[in-house]
Amino acid sequence: MAEQKKVRFVIERQDGPDSAPYTQEFDVDYRPGLNVVAALMEIQKNPVTVDGKKVAPVVWECNCLEKVCGACMMVINGKARQACCSLIDNLEQPIRLQPARTFPVIRDLLIDRSVMFESLKRIQGWVEVDGSWDVKDAPIQNPYTAETAYEISHCMTCGCCMEACPNVGPQSDFIGPSPTVQAYLFNLHPLGKFDAPKRLNALMEKGGITSCGNSQNCVQACPKNIKLTTYLAQLNRDVNKQALKNIFNH
Amino acid sequence: MFHTTFYVRRLHSLVGLLALGMVLFEHIFTNSMALGGAPALNGALAMMELIPKPIFLGLEIGAIAAPLLFHAIYGIYICLQAKNNPGRYGYVRNWQFALQRWTAWFLVVFLVWHIFYLRIFTKGIAGTPISYELLQSYFVANPVYALLYILGMFAAIFHFCNGITTFCMTWGIAKGPRIQNVISLMSMGLCAVLCLVTLAFMGSYFVM
Ligand code: SF4
Ligand code: SF4
Ligand code: FES
Repeated sequence: MAEQKKVRFVIERQDGPDSAPYTQEFDVDYRPGLNVVAALMEIQKNPVTVDGKKVAPVVWECNCLEKVCGACMMVINGKARQACCSLIDNLEQPIRLQPARTFPVIRDLLIDRSVMFESLKRIQGWVEVDGSWDVKDAPIQNPYTAETAYEISHCMTCGCCMEACPNVGPQSDFIGPSPTVQAYLFNLHPLGKFDAPKRLNALMEKGGITSCGNSQNCVQACPKNIKLTTYLAQLNRDVNKQALKNIFNH
Repeated sequence: MFHTTFYVRRLHSLVGLLALGMVLFEHIFTNSMALGGAPALNGALAMMELIPKPIFLGLEIGAIAAPLLFHAIYGIYICLQAKNNPGRYGYVRNWQFALQRWTAWFLVVFLVWHIFYLRIFTKGIAGTPISYELLQSYFVANPVYALLYILGMFAAIFHFCNGITTFCMTWGIAKGPRIQNVISLMSMGLCAVLCLVTLAFMGSYFVM
């Protein structure tokens, strides 16, 4: 019988939010179609390091297993990616897994991305539907922008773009590419556009769109292929116009 | 709501492109006169001396010192907000992003030295007028200084040319990837040309 092929994982772990990180290595049996999440599940079943030490299972997050929920984002061989759709066959070995340190680490590969939710609140990432008016049928979408809106609506707040962006992190207050571009999605919406000035004004605040330094990492990193830099440029145009209105309308 | 950050950031971008871009072009233009030897450069310097002293000083403070200080100080604040990561994300634009910040740090140090030595000490305090002969003896006696000046020019030229690209993005002028690439290629072309001009006029001190 041929010898079982192994895949070596070098995992950066940490026991709690404030504890020091350390690395451990694990071997997982190779099988065709194996991906990083499936390999982490194998490690969870049998958390024994390459030196035969039994350790606490590695903690990480996943949910949909098909690149729609965003939960499994981690740094794989140095780049932010979704673990569920990272095939072992496409990765250089040994495979290095690290938590995305742009966000606070809770434990091992598990991170706290609630800052993205806070930023979505800041830019008013929703459409106002309740009010003192009758709720009629849904308004029609502009067919010329529907495709763009559909594209941006794919965002799964995974945070790949945030991890890749050199201007997002503990050293900066930038809300980051994803929440910024979400403002454009809601500005395109037939009801959401009523609040467009509010969103643009929020983007002009400290930590808003002006903190983007045009490195364009975000557009390369986005697993949903959202043309982030194009919409950032569009929003830059929009905030400039909003600034002119702010100055000359009063 | 007065969006201070927004206006300061946009001013930083404008000042860099227009005011400091002018200063850079003036420097390249005047210094390239060295290619014509001592009479050409000294002639160009004498032309500048024709501007009345108070106006000249006003221009130096208003059109050079003030924009430069603002751009440098706010720029340091911007630099501190970045974690440069071209090692992990080695895309061309990310390298340019990192280089924009590394050249900025180098320029802060270089310009302090350049301005203190040539403008404040040599011309201001010692009262020695800047001339072809002065620069030539300075560079030929200290080739390391000449090299540092060449690097300082390269850094300033790259910082300015890459700044044209980011200006077009920041102001929403170039939106799509095609036009952004075209502008980036053109600015890097300009960068190469200006660097060659710099090499030519700096080299001329050593061959003439
Ligand atoms: S283009 Fe802007 S938002 Fe995108 S990665 Fe670069 S700095 Fe971040
Ligand atoms: S924009 Fe793309 S990379 Fe960023 S959070 Fe959304 S899906 Fe993820
Ligand atoms: S588990 Fe949902 S995106 Fe990977």
